[in-house]
Amino acid sequence: MSQTEEPAEPDEEPPAEAPATGVDYDALEDLLGDDVVRRETHTNAEGFVVRADRVQSALSALKDTCGFDHLSNVSAQEYADRFESIYHLKKYDDPTEEVSVVVPTPRDDPVSQSAEPVFRTADWHEREAYDLVGVQYDDHPDLRRILLPETWQGHPLGRDYNQDKPQIVEFEENVNPLASDHRDEDTMLINIGPHHPATHGVLHLEAVLDGETVEHVEPDIGYLHRCEEQMAQSGTYRHQIMPYPDRWDYGSAGILNEWAYARVAEDLNDIEVPEYAQVMRTMSAELCRIAAHLLALGTFCLDIYGDFTAIFMYAMRDREVVQNILEDLTGQRMMFNYLRLGGVVWDVPEPREEFFETVREFLAELPSRMEEYHDLITENELFQIRTVGTGVLEPETAKQYGVTGPVARASGIDYDLRRDDPYGYYENLDWDVITDDGKDNYSRLLVRMREVEQSARIIEQCVDLLEDWDEDDRTIQANVPRTLNPERDKEAYRAVEGAKGELGIYVRSDGTDKPARFKIRSPCFSNLQALPEMAEGEYVPDLVATLGSLDIILGEVDR
Amino acid sequence: MATAPVALAEWLGYAAAPLWLELLLDVVVAGIIVTVMLLTSALAGPWAKRKITAMFTDRIAINRVGPFGLGYIVADSVRLLSKELIIPDGADRPAYDVAPAVLPLSALLGFAVVPMGSGLQLADPEIGLAYVFAVSSMASVGMVVGGYASGSKYSLLGSMRSVAESIAYEIPLVVTAASVVLLAGSLRLSDIVAAQQGTLVSLGPIAIPAWYGFLNPFAMALFAVAALAEVGRNPFDLGEAGTELVGGYITEYSGVYFVLFFLGEFLHIFLSGAIVATLFLGGPLGPGPAWLGVVWFGAKIWAFFLFTQWCRSAVPRIRIDQMLQIGWKGLLVLSFANLILTAIIVGVIA
Repeated sequence: MSQTEEPAEPDEEPPAEAPATGVDYDALEDLLGDDVVRRETHTNAEGFVVRADRVQSALSALKDTCGFDHLSNVSAQEYADRFESIYHLKKYDDPTEEVSVVVPTPRDDPVSQSAEPVFRTADWHEREAYDLVGVQYDDHPDLRRILLPETWQGHPLGRDYNQDKPQIVEFEENVNPLASDHRDEDTMLINIGPHHPATHGVLHLEAVLDGETVEHVEPDIGYLHRCEEQMAQSGTYRHQIMPYPDRWDYGSAGILNEWAYARVAEDLNDIEVPEYAQVMRTMSAELCRIAAHLLALGTFCLDIYGDFTAIFMYAMRDREVVQNILEDLTGQRMMFNYLRLGGVVWDVPEPREEFFETVREFLAELPSRMEEYHDLITENELFQIRTVGTGVLEPETAKQYGVTGPVARASGIDYDLRRDDPYGYYENLDWDVITDDGKDNYSRLLVRMREVEQSARIIEQCVDLLEDWDEDDRTIQANVPRTLNPERDKEAYRAVEGAKGELGIYVRSDGTDKPARFKIRSPCFSNLQALPEMAEGEYVPDLVATLGSLDIILGEVDR
Repeated sequence: MATAPVALAEWLGYAAAPLWLELLLDVVVAGIIVTVMLLTSALAGPWAKRKITAMFTDRIAINRVGPFGLGYIVADSVRLLSKELIIPDGADRPAYDVAPAVLPLSALLGFAVVPMGSGLQLADPEIGLAYVFAVSSMASVGMVVGGYASGSKYSLLGSMRSVAESIAYEIPLVVTAASVVLLAGSLRLSDIVAAQQGTLVSLGPIAIPAWYGFLNPFAMALFAVAALAEVGRNPFDLGEAGTELVGGYITEYSGVYFVLFFLGEFLHIFLSGAIVATLFLGGPLGPGPAWLGVVWFGAKIWAFFLFTQWCRSAVPRIRIDQMLQIGWKGLLVLSFANLILTAIIVGVIA
């Protein structure tokens, strides 16, 4: 990226030590006092190494006093001599202000204090760290495995894990989901999923019903766990990792996911992306966002309407147009593999005019389509009585759970990484972040529909730019070495605004051409965690509608 | 017009048919009616449903088997009948087996008294309308037994919803029908049809027939909404609620049992269409000679079918509490208001 067009980037990631964001790290260190053992420098932010028994006090101080109210991610990993949990903190008001809290624990006694009392979202993140890496958390309310079955032997991302050892489990050892049948109580346990029409994949909701009212619901995930992190760890930075992100959020959001990896890998290896490629990335990513939001709209209405109804098929029809455009551009319909470190793989297909014409036709058609959706859905009284005021998510609760994306914006949280932590070409374009104060299922749909319009605005500007771009200056890729070996122990956490929210990746390098730790922060994972807050006390149909409005893709939840 | 068995007996030269002949003719006519209804509703119904839904949702639908995919009717019958019948472990056996038959049976019994035009009517009792409602509401027994006997929580929830729905909407349905009875002065269905003959008003060349749908469109709207709930179609699709309860009371049914439920639902839509046509759209009445009656009647039934499919494609499903609210606080009050107003008007004029 050129220095003139990307003023924010140099501020964020100078090659030198201290990341020069607006955070006064020395003041923070004074504040934390003797909780801090020492300081580390990560590519994205300073990290404070905190004593394992002082995690809560350190996090509370950062949250309450300094306003780091967004626990974006918890990355855990095992070194030769220690376990380490990293809490990546941000501010909802300004996500460029970041700080990491690093908690090392000895290998023979890997217990650290849980962050759950401070940030609710740490619940699932720490369970995942326990499950995959083997770190244990004191004070955690419910430290069970989350992605793997309860019967699993060992922690697959740990150093001592033997991958060749078969996991032999007798049938009786498995958890019986009907063990407690609630026969003597007034309530009824009902297992919604893993095979259920409304779960949008393989999700299992353990719901306790009192009549039709949901007393308690607990999402049980992991059915689609495909070891994405480990696969990424065994691939080389340069080419082998990029195809994987397409498979996280496979609801057409491939390029958005690829960008998450591209961003972190480019930061880690100090790769500059040519401006032309940034525009290409921005355009293709927004096309993906439209496709993903249309899918979300269609499936949400499927949950409300019941059958494969008009809305679903209309959304599919319009999404098909986007898919065809993306196919023309990338050669693929879903698993695009379009981005490369330092740019994109291909330029706009020849003849260029024809491609731009197709895109423009789609953009010209879109407003009338959206009008039709508003006629059919949002202005329908029956639809309104079903969705308005159901699945309410208060902004404070949303922040507790690290909720991001359209779900957070529908709760009135003005948080969009495209604007707040700029990357790509977004800062130079004219578009708005959509928020809504309804906090309910209806708002979440409305926000997505309006975001489609904003994405269309972005694409239109990108097409204008690309059409007039000087022919000699169309550099689609920077010169990137064949092999990338970032410095040893360089760590970076970077996020982009995916279709569902903040899609972040933490990478630690060990000096080889493969990442030593590759941790994915999935927006769906955090958003799904807030489901019980929204659905408990409501009716079963509202639970289903709320789940639909969260727009989760299980491939991204389970990774 | 005499019912079909009586007419046949007269045609054979019997002024008063002996019992054996009457019974025989009843069986023959019943056979014809059942065949006709089964053919139209259960066989053509699913085909038409797919085609109609496809039109609403901008698709093409089946077009590979035969012209317009009509061969699909045969192919799908074979497919449905040859599927494995899976009976869950926890099923309550005799009840589980009986339930699927109740639904189509109750609908077919209802057709017995419906005047389909062209003389096609099995019986014409004085209490025809009451009989139709009595037998068609037997369907909810089938649903609740099936749902309860399946031994599945989804089925149980679905059947409970269906019963709540039936109870809440049966009353407005019957009360609205009663307002038609006030107008016609008879419960006999052929009398109700006969009362709708003639012209309501003539607007130049267009003569609006004296159908009760035109005389009291408000009652017809009420009845149509309640009928939608009775047949469990959107927005009252709660009993099955595919995306919530998987399939409601039919979740655990497969093979032939599923076919019977499926058939029963289609027959019920057609029976509801038949009642709407009889009460509000003049039954088999229409332009042209009287023998065209069955064609007009069929067209009116299919129009109602189209209406249900339209709702299915375009209207969201409401929640159980909202459904009960609309039923008990809305439709019930409105239907009684309609009844009382009709009674007053009929009393003043007549």
